[in-house]
Amino acid sequence: MNRFEHDLRESLKRREPPADFADMVLARTRVSESRTKPWHWQWMAAAAMVVVLVGGGFMVQEQRREARRQASEEQKKEELLVALRITGSKLRLVQERLSAIQQRTIQLQVEQ
Amino acid sequence: MTKSDFESVVREHQKMVYSIACSFFHNAAIAEEVAQDVFLQLFENRNAVGVGTHCIAWLRRSTVHRCIDTMRRSSFKQEIQVDELPEVADDAPAADPLLQERLRRLVASLPETPRAVMILRFGEDMDADEIGQTLQMPVRTVWSHLQRATALIRDKASRYLKENENEPVRTRSS
Repeated sequence: MNRFEHDLRESLKRREPPADFADMVLARTRVSESRTKPWHWQWMAAAAMVVVLVGGGFMVQEQRREARRQASEEQKKEELLVALRITGSKLRLVQERLSAIQQRTIQLQVEQ
Repeated sequence: MTKSDFESVVREHQKMVYSIACSFFHNAAIAEEVAQDVFLQLFENRNAVGVGTHCIAWLRRSTVHRCIDTMRRSSFKQEIQVDELPEVADDAPAADPLLQERLRRLVASLPETPRAVMILRFGEDMDADEIGQTLQMPVRTVWSHLQRATALIRDKASRYLKENENEPVRTRSS
């Protein structure tokens, strides 16, 4: 190592920071921590809001699906009742015709 | 890294971080601010950065990069051109406070990369490999910066010394 390098080393050698340097750094970390805490709360509030919105949307969708299912069942019930009514009236007609045929058969037997 | 680990790291390495920043800017107020920012950054990344040699390397790298960022953002543009350097053969005389102050100013006026290289080499006593790893550059580039910056500072310092030698001694009565 020559003289010039020695001088460079001497001029760039480590220097003491101010006496309160470490305390200042630690104080700043405390401030930084206290600033970051509300951010956590904000993130949690935002997450809760997202959960509520998603959950609410899911519930509304479920209610709509249930309503559609009930309406479909009601329609099928109505269609079944109409079918039964038609079948009943047809049966009544058949029964009337059968009784008419039966009466005519009895009359013919009496006449013979 | 726990909070108590962080506190002991600050107390143990404050001198190193502050000195690098101080040599970089030749300004105690800016150096203090930059050094505090580096430790704050370490606090924010304390779970990722371990304790020990890795932490020291991280602190050196972060300090140099933050110094460069701060310089780019602010108006520290007292650079000396490193090109076309004349060869100077004479050795400097014995170190004196004025010469050391002059050398500090000269180092602080170098462009950012050779400045960082010089500070890590002569201030932190790191070899070219370590400097290359810290600044993420090839060892050849480190050597190139070292040689050119050393020659430049030697030239400027010797000119300063010659000027002082020629200057007549002034007394209070004159």
